[in-house]
Amino acid sequence: MPAQRTFGMDHPHHEWSPVINRPALQWPNDAAVALCVVIPLEHMEWQAPPGSFQVARLSGGSAPREFPDYARLSHREYGHRVGIFRLLDVLQKHGIRATIAMDAMTAQNYPYLVKHCQDRGCEFIGHGISVSRMITSNMTEGEEQEYIQASLDALGKATGTQPRGWFGPEYGESDRTPQLLAQAGLTYVCDWTNDEQPFPMTTGEQPFFALPLMYELDDVVSISQKLMPVFDYERMLCESFDVLKEDGATTGRLLAVNWHPWLLGQPFRIGSIDRALSHIMSQGGVWPATGSEIIDWFRQQST
Amino acid sequence: MALPPDRIDYLPINDRPVIKWPNDARVALWISPNVEHYEYQPINEGVRNPWPRTPYPDVQQYSYRDYGNRIGFWRMLEPLDKHGIRCCISLNLAVLEHFPEIAEAMMERDYDYMSHGIYNTRYLYTCSEDEEREFYRDCIDTLKRHTGKPLKGMLGPAISGSVSTPDLMAEAGLIYHTDWFHDDQPTPIKVKSGKLISVPYSVELNDSSVLRDNHYSAAYFADICKAQFDQLYEEGAESGRVMCIALHPFLIGQPHRVKHLDDMLGYMMAHDGVWQTTADEIADYYIANYYDEAVAHAQRISQGQGS
Repeated sequence: MPAQRTFGMDHPHHEWSPVINRPALQWPNDAAVALCVVIPLEHMEWQAPPGSFQVARLSGGSAPREFPDYARLSHREYGHRVGIFRLLDVLQKHGIRATIAMDAMTAQNYPYLVKHCQDRGCEFIGHGISVSRMITSNMTEGEEQEYIQASLDALGKATGTQPRGWFGPEYGESDRTPQLLAQAGLTYVCDWTNDEQPFPMTTGEQPFFALPLMYELDDVVSISQKLMPVFDYERMLCESFDVLKEDGATTGRLLAVNWHPWLLGQPFRIGSIDRALSHIMSQGGVWPATGSEIIDWFRQQST
Repeated sequence: MALPPDRIDYLPINDRPVIKWPNDARVALWISPNVEHYEYQPINEGVRNPWPRTPYPDVQQYSYRDYGNRIGFWRMLEPLDKHGIRCCISLNLAVLEHFPEIAEAMMERDYDYMSHGIYNTRYLYTCSEDEEREFYRDCIDTLKRHTGKPLKGMLGPAISGSVSTPDLMAEAGLIYHTDWFHDDQPTPIKVKSGKLISVPYSVELNDSSVLRDNHYSAAYFADICKAQFDQLYEEGAESGRVMCIALHPFLIGQPHRVKHLDDMLGYMMAHDGVWQTTADEIADYYIANYYDEAVAHAQRISQGQGS
């Protein structure tokens, strides 16, 4: 529905809340910045089913090509076979546990990866069926409910625990997704990129929160789509952190990044991540945490 | 892994049999110039348009690529020769027929060759299985006739393929396919008969994607190749890795770029643990020493019994 030229948001999912109006947010141990690394482990399908929606510039391979596109599928698979281990090794070196956004096809078909991420102490959050099928308003409400439930069931079965968070493939939502996620029993969603602090969403259900990711720090956005050299990306991470740390002295900030193992896990890119995390983690005042830890803390602070 | 196209078993890099390259090298480094010819007036079969900018011919784009054969190839040879690189050419086989001086220059240097199709403007998308069988016969015969060498592998023409491509390649006696970018080591590809593996080529360290599609500088290309090398060299101390740099003479052979090729080759070749080789040799070595072990280990992984 077009906006009505009245106060506040033009949708019902959350309140208007500029950062200047909020009480100061305290992180544990007076950290200035909470760091959350979201790693999508998502499967690209050989042939997406009829009616499924993909963004036009879904990354991978040399460019989207005609079927069969061995290059793009296998480039994505690199993340599951090689890149994830490089990325998790670097995170572990810096004392960071990842928040793994795992889709149903990965959860069902890569038991090795499920166990490996469990052994590393990662949190798992729902990530749809596959990256070839994103949520959009093209779905009916029933289809969307079924999609969310199937994703959560597959992940819950594979990991033995019910996920508390959600990140739609390619940030995909319809205009009812937050409500449906809350109805499905979830506590937080990562699709919204509009803040540097968690914020409550108004779903009419149980308490439900947004854990906002930094759009420009998404490696697919900056490197794959905007073609930023990886050394500039490294510098951007460091400079972002420096400002968040400064601003976080007044009210705590969230640095939440979405890092794809098939992209940042490539041999020539991983060194940049290692160096950026050295810069971030060596200064003190950082709380590395998983999505649930951050949301639980935020919820306790705001009640 | 039970997902379509069901060609590659899941094998995590941190849990698989250790690969030892000859002389305990850490990195098998292969350099793959794409020596190509794009037709002046190709047939558009309706799947992918070879010259999408204009009605045919597109003289600007045609001659840009032909520059590679007239000028760029020869300039590219200078740093390759200086650093003693034996290339594995990704070859449009018709180049052997059109441009004999190029054929001679490659043969003088004892390069190896993988098929990159007949022309870079003829794709495999619309081939029937029998047409694709005939295509492999043509590639094999043409290479043998001109160079005396057996054809062992393929990078699909302009990285095109059909659903049956791996099966038909293996049936024709080819042993490796380089259209797969899922790994830093060779891996078995499941086929109906025979043995086929993937040898890691690169869609990332490729002047076509880095310099042409993505508009980065040649200095950046050299920097990321060095960074890739450093990472793989470190990891290769435990288990051998493959690194490929893909080149196109019309891109890397431009006057302003060639010094960066010299720079990256000099950097890598100054290391002791480098097996500078070709995809032919990597494939032979891997199949002789590691293929069976990899297949057996993938079985264990799929049954939840990783080492």
